[in-house]
This record gives sequence, structure tokens and C-alpha cells, in this order.
Amino acid sequence: MPSTPQPGFFNLWSALTPPLKAGQFRLDAQVDLDPGVTPTSMPVETGQTFFTVDAPRFALPADQLLSTYPPAHGNGAYSERLPQVVLKRRTLPWERAPGAGADAALPWLALVVIAQGEGTLSPEVDVTQCVTPGVTLAGAADVTQGAYLEVTKTVVDAVFPTKEDLPLLCHVRQVDLSDTELALGDDDGWMAVVLANRLPWPASADPTTTGGPDQPAAAPVQYLACLINLEGQLAALPDAAEDETETFVPVDAIAHFDLYADTFADPDTLAMAQPAGGLPKAGPAAPPAIVARSTLSDTWATAPAAAAAPTALGIDAGRAVRELMGRPWRTPVGAVTAEQAYRFPVLTHWQFTVDGDPSFEGLMQALDVALLGSLPEPDPQAPPAPRPVPDVAATGHVGLAHLTRRGDHATAWYRGPLAPRPTERDAAATSGGPLPVAHASDQLRRVTPDGREDLTYAAAFEIGRLLALSQPSVVAALMRWRAEQFGAARAAELAAQTITGTSLLGGPPAIAGVADLGRLVGGALLGRIDADPAATVGPRRPAADPGAPIPGLTGDLEAVVATGLGLNLDALRAQAAQVGAVDALADTAVPLADAAAGPVLEGPDLVTLRSAAETVAGGLAAQAAAGAAPVAGAEASAPAQPDALDSLLGELEP
Amino acid sequence: MIDRTLLTGAMAVEATLTVSATLGGALQPQPPDPRTGPRVIPNDLADWLAALRLLAAVPFAYLVPDAELLPQESARFFYLDRAWTDALVQGAMSVGTVTTADHAQLEAVYPYVRSEVDEAERLARVAGHDPAPLGPAGTVAGLLLRSRAVAGWPGLHLRAYSEMVPDDAMLPDSDPRRLRLLRMERLAPAVLAVLIDGVPRIVHVEEPRQGLQFGVRPPDGDPADTTRQGLVPPRDVSTGEPLVPMDDKTSWVPVRFRPGAPGVLNLRKTRDALLAVPGTNMGSDVDSAEFAIQMLRYPYRQVFGPTGPQTDPETNPSAAGTKAGWTQVFRPRIEVPDLLAEFTKETS
Repeated sequence: MPSTPQPGFFNLWSALTPPLKAGQFRLDAQVDLDPGVTPTSMPVETGQTFFTVDAPRFALPADQLLSTYPPAHGNGAYSERLPQVVLKRRTLPWERAPGAGADAALPWLALVVIAQGEGTLSPEVDVTQCVTPGVTLAGAADVTQGAYLEVTKTVVDAVFPTKEDLPLLCHVRQVDLSDTELALGDDDGWMAVVLANRLPWPASADPTTTGGPDQPAAAPVQYLACLINLEGQLAALPDAAEDETETFVPVDAIAHFDLYADTFADPDTLAMAQPAGGLPKAGPAAPPAIVARSTLSDTWATAPAAAAAPTALGIDAGRAVRELMGRPWRTPVGAVTAEQAYRFPVLTHWQFTVDGDPSFEGLMQALDVALLGSLPEPDPQAPPAPRPVPDVAATGHVGLAHLTRRGDHATAWYRGPLAPRPTERDAAATSGGPLPVAHASDQLRRVTPDGREDLTYAAAFEIGRLLALSQPSVVAALMRWRAEQFGAARAAELAAQTITGTSLLGGPPAIAGVADLGRLVGGALLGRIDADPAATVGPRRPAADPGAPIPGLTGDLEAVVATGLGLNLDALRAQAAQVGAVDALADTAVPLADAAAGPVLEGPDLVTLRSAAETVAGGLAAQAAAGAAPVAGAEASAPAQPDALDSLLGELEP
Repeated sequence: MIDRTLLTGAMAVEATLTVSATLGGALQPQPPDPRTGPRVIPNDLADWLAALRLLAAVPFAYLVPDAELLPQESARFFYLDRAWTDALVQGAMSVGTVTTADHAQLEAVYPYVRSEVDEAERLARVAGHDPAPLGPAGTVAGLLLRSRAVAGWPGLHLRAYSEMVPDDAMLPDSDPRRLRLLRMERLAPAVLAVLIDGVPRIVHVEEPRQGLQFGVRPPDGDPADTTRQGLVPPRDVSTGEPLVPMDDKTSWVPVRFRPGAPGVLNLRKTRDALLAVPGTNMGSDVDSAEFAIQMLRYPYRQVFGPTGPQTDPETNPSAAGTKAGWTQVFRPRIEVPDLLAEFTKETS
């Protein structure tokens, strides 16, 4: 199995057949035992298990329907697209067998599209009545009541897919689940698609009057799409059609597929020459048997969109109205025609109206594209417009009638917010600073060089004021905000007086950028502290403290170091004068005794030194053994010298 | 000893906070919002003013003062007049200003209000996962579309790009070339108003996508012809690529219908016709998946903008796709001196 397609891509499969069709099954379990000794066979009783493979049959569960095209009750130019229904379970079209011995890849579902008047849809009927009389479906029904579609053989032969067509109309689509546009809310990314075999064209206008440029080429037609169950009735489908045509003339589809087409071709014959007792009278007094079924057929057959057709098309209005009004009261197909009528269970159905609008492509390409403010080119052939062409300036301003306050009738310029050219936001900035904020609309009235007033911005001001006034919540929010602004200024002044006698906040309170008083006070306080920290928090501590003096180290530092390390003091001083004392010390090598050259000290001096060292070591060892305080402890008990921090603290003492 | 001055300051802050709380200044933190930092006006008020700036609820007669300016089946591009929307906001802010102090306060805060509404305006139509665009408002352009296409195809897709992109490009929202839509709304069943954050170089309008669809295309020519024909471009089923040029329907395959049954396909003959086209990789028979690929119909996309080689708009005003060349559409046709001359000429 290939991997999941990328977002934006999809895989198509011609069929996914389940291993078992829906139905009741018996599972026989047999065990063969071969013990290896005689008797060589030990029979074991056969185990039997019964199970049922379930599938929708007369009604489509609501969660199995992912989408339909065209949308239910949609009204538009769907004529170039094949209606389709997308089912959630990928194996659904192949879960039942349409007929005994049918190929496993032959779907049992078909989507048929029926134009207005070609058939009758009867909802809420016992499922045993949902199939053509004489046909019985073995097995359990999933629901007790279902809908059926009743059509004549003529319609079946003309509209229904052939047996050969059925496999072509169902396929499986695999998409990536993260592609929301294609996945349609599916849970596994696999879905079954059932296509119709009919393009739902709108009816043509009367062929005798069509052709003029002002005539709509088509009249709206209501279509009903039914997902039907073909079980047991595969034979009713037409055989493969050899007749073909590349074009067709969409003469009024309703009349052409009229239920009575073969008997009464002419509507006038229908109205005037009914055979006695053959047809019920057209009129509101419908036979009682039909009243029960009229719930859906009312909405289906009374076409409000189609009612507009006669006036729009200019065809014989009386005839069309009679046609239209008679339609809902026609009896079911099987009751009036001698022809064979078929009933097919309908799993789901929806209706849509195809009207004569041009396609999206045609509409978009016929658009008149320009900048706002440009008028369409007047057609020289057209009669003069009933109203004068508006006075449009090249800037987009329109001259409008203006009743001045003195009662004069004048014209004024106005331009909406949508301008045909880029405008400057602060137009007056080029001529001496930005304009002050307007407080009344009259501040924004302008006079153009031609003497007429330009009320553009005055009107904008006024409509903004009225829009704000029209919403009490906005007025309340504005007033509350303004009160807060004044309150904040008041609180800032109060805070200034609270902190110290002098205004800690310094100067007039800045309104700008102050959302709350706490931030205002905190900021001002920090600023004040920063300005004179010594007065508010105390004297500043120096960045570095001087080091503590080393006891016993007195005199010239260089002399002490040079003596201790055995350096030449004069040479060191001469070098220090050039490169500094620290660098001079670093550059001078410390003289070391050469151990290889023999002992440094010999003779009686060595004996004296050694005896002195032993005396001191012995004394120290005796002290340590006696548990006396270490020698270094003498310094710790000495009073601490005051350091820099102590002197700082001392300054704080009053 | 404790520092006396510091103690006084801390007490003062605490006292001031108490005072301001009792004065009614709610010092609660604002809810999470991309706009951070102190604000002059509350965000809800800024949002309302921003919606007003985007012309929400402004009567249509104020937008288009004469019906002739937006005839049936027309598309009109425009620039948003910032001075007009500023006047609109000033009018809204003027509500309840009575005294001179009110006026003085409004004048003091108005510059801040203006910049804050500028920011709020750009946040008006931000999807949840998008990075919030901040910063001052730039030029806003837009489009008014009055067509049956708006009424018949609810949920049109409209994308605007700041640079030239291929006609079949599908760029994500986050692409820097893609301009954000500040507002896209149907003002009437057949009138669509779109405000774009920037001046677009190219605009795509696309049929709403409702999953995959299958169907045919009509032949070029007179749509009022009474005979109907449906054409499909043959495709290579292994790649899905069409085998014939998509803009020339002469080599497309006409689907076959059953005679006497309007619109009903004769699938066997259609299949035979498709099998006769070389290069489809369909083998000797057509299965339903291959048939579906042949019948695929993608949503139609109308491109407003210059197409083909970039040429001088003066010499080539009729760029394909639109009646007028794009650069011509978005070019100011008059300057202030011309205007002055025109006005003075009229008065004289």
C-alpha cells in the first residue's frame, strides 16, 4: 500500500471491495486429527457459527455522508460539473451485491439525477414497498421506513447509468488528513466517491425566441439527486448505449421528459383531450391517496425559480403556468401510465436548482475592471439613460445636490473613502503643519477653486459621530475613558502632594503613555531617586575599597622587596624609572643558590643556626602538646581595624 | 538605623496606589494582547475605532455616492483615503466633548489615539496562529466587486500579492509576498468589499473549493448558442498532467452524450474517445479512477494584474485577463496642477 499522499495530492483507486459482502454467513469449523496410530482418523464434530455482515441498505447513516455537490438546496450554475456524493467508508459502494453473481467490483449504489417532472420521490414508506413490485430483497433491512424513487422505463433508459457505466462512476480517494480542504473532516483520509452520469443543464429558453443578445439562454431547472440502491434490479438498467452525440440541444428538459410524453406529446392535448377517466383532473382537489405523499413532492415540484421563467423568457406564459401548476398534483407514475414503472430505494437525496447564469469563468472575464470613479463607456446604441450621468471629477469627487443652510439649491463635491488615487493622510502638512483635531464637522468643510463646497471630510466626520452615537455602549466607553483620563490626572496631582511637600513627580503630569497611576508614580519615584541618590537612599559606596595594611611592613616597598629577594636595589630603581616598578620587578630574575656548586653555608655559622632552629621548633612543639592557643591566635584577638565600610557607616551616624 | 528617606518613598507609593484605586482607576492588567506597553485608550475602544476605520457599518451610499460608479458586473479598485477615515474617527471621538477642557484633552491625546488605532487596524483580521503584525499603518488599497459571481459563489477566495507570482501559484498565508486582507465582506448579496494591507501587484479571485469536482468545460465561443457541448482535457493518468494546452480547447476531447437525453453522458463512447488519445497511459480499458482523473475540474481562478511579458502599459494597454492593463488601472491619472487648471477653467 503506498504511503499517505502529501497535502495537496491525492490517490485514486478504482474499487476497494470488502472480502465479504453484506449478508448472513455461517462459519463451519472442521478439525482433522491424525493421531498417528490406528484408527488413523478421529472424527471431531463440526463447529458452526453464524454471523451477519451489516451495511446500510435503505438509508444512509448521517455520519457516512461527507459532502455533496452541488450543495443541497443550492442555486447556481452547476451545469458543467457532475453531481457527486462523498461517502466516509471507503468500501461502502461495494459492500452489497447489486445482483446475484455480479462482479465483486460492481457497485450497488448509483447516483441518479432526475430533472423536475421525471419521477416521484416518496419518503417515509415501509421498506417492503420501496422496491418495484415483484422484487423482494432477501436479508434484513437496516431501517423500517425508507424513501423510494419511482420512474418510468423511458426515464430509466434515458437517464440511468448502464450496467457498464456503474463501475466507472464509483472510485475511492485517499488524501492526507492534514489537508483540510480535501479531507472534508474524514477520520482516516479514505473516502468513496459516487459520481452521477448526468450534467445538470438548465432548460433552454424557447428555441424560437432564443438567440438575441438580451435573451437569457437558459431557464432554471430543479434537479433531484438520489443515491439509489440497485440490489435485485440490475436488469432494469439500460443496456450499453451505442447512440452517441457530441452536442445536444437542451430543449426544455421538463417537457421532453414529461411523464405523459409518449401518450400526450402536446400540452394542449393534455389539457383539452383527456380520455374519460384516464387522468385525474388537474386542480387543488387532489385524490386523497396523493395527499399523504405531498410533503416532499410539494417542495420538489413547485419550483419558485421556474415560476420566474415564463416572464423572463417571453414564451407562452399561460401554457407554462398551467404546466407548472398541474405538476404537483399529478398522480404517481405507476398509477397513470401503462408503462412499466420502477421503484428504487433511495439512501439519501437532495435537490438543487440549476439556473441559467453563465459560469464563474464567464462572469469573471466579462467584468468591467477599472479604478473607482471611472464610469462605464456609454453605449452609443443604447437609449438615453433615464437619469443624468453623474458629475465625476478625475479625482473621484462626485457632484451631488446640496441644500445649503440658507435654503439654496446647489451642488457640492463629495468623495467617499475609496479614492481612485493615493491620497495624503495629512494633506495640510505640506502647507504649514497638521490640521488641528476637528471638533465639529464644519471645521472640515472646504471650498474648491471652482467655488463649490467640498463636503467630503465634513460628511465623514458627521457619519463617524452618528455611528458612535448610535451605539450606547460606545458612548459609555468613550465617556468612561475620558473620565479615567481626567481621574488619572487628578490622582497624579494628588500623588505628587502625598509623596513629599515638593512635587516628586516633577512638573505637570504627562498624560501621554500613562495607562495606570501605579506605573506613573513608580516611574516618577525612580527618576527622583536617580536624580539625587545621596539625599534619598544614602551616600554612595566607592567602587573599590582600599586594602588593609600589612603589619610589620614599613619603609620603602622597593627596598624591602629587593632586600628580601636579594636583588640589586640600585639596578631595580634605575629600571623602575623607565618601565615602572611592577614591570621592573617582573623582568628582574631572582638570584638563586646553585645547589650543584656546594653548600651555601658551612662551618660554625651552620651549627649556630641549626641549634637555634631546633630550640624554636622544640618550644613550639611543647606549646602544641600542652594545648595552648596557636601563635596566630594572638592576631585574631586584636581589635579589628576600621575599614572603608565602617567609615561609610560612621558617616551615617548623626 | 533605617533610612528615613526610603521609608517615606515606599509609604508614598503605597498610599498613592490606594488613593488611585479608590478613585476608580482600575489597575487590573489587560488581557493578553499583542499590543504591549502602556496605552492611552483601552483596547476594546481601539478595536471599535479600528473597525470604524475599516468602514464597518458605514452606509454604502457614503462609500459609493452614485450607483453609476459601481455598475453591474464590474470590479472597481481603489485606494483608501486616510484623511477620510481620520475624519471618521475624529467624528466618533467628538461624542460627548462639551467643554473647552474636553476639547483640550482630546487634542492632547489625539496623536496617541491615532497611532494606537493604526496598530489595532492591522490586528483586525489576524488568524489565531498568525504572527501579529504591528507597526504604523501603510497604504490600504482594495476592491469592490459587484457581480452575480459574488451572489452565486459564496465563499470566494481572494488573494493579493505584492509582487508578481505565477498565475497558478498557491502561496501560504505566511509568505511575505502575500498581502494581508484587512477586511473582506459581502456588503450586499452581490457586492463584495475587500480591503488589502498594501497596494497589490496582482490579485487572484478563485472559485470556492468544495473538495474535488468533476466536470466539463464549454467550448469557446458564443455562450448563447443553443447547442451545448462539453470538453475535457485528456490527462496522463500516471501524473495527472494534461496532455493538451489548457488555454486552447481545440484539441480537447468532447464528451459524448446520449441522444435525446439532455446532459446524460454516454460513458462507453466517452471512454472510447479518451482511449483513442495517445499518451494517457490508460492501457486497454478505463477504470473508474482513470475516468475520474480525466474528468477532474479544478476551480477557476481569475487573475487581475499584468500577465505575460512585462511591457510598457502605454503601448500594450490591454494586458490579458483584464479589460484594462493593470498598471493603467492602478495609475493616478491626474495630478494636482492639472486639477487646479481644470477647476479654474470651469470657473472662468
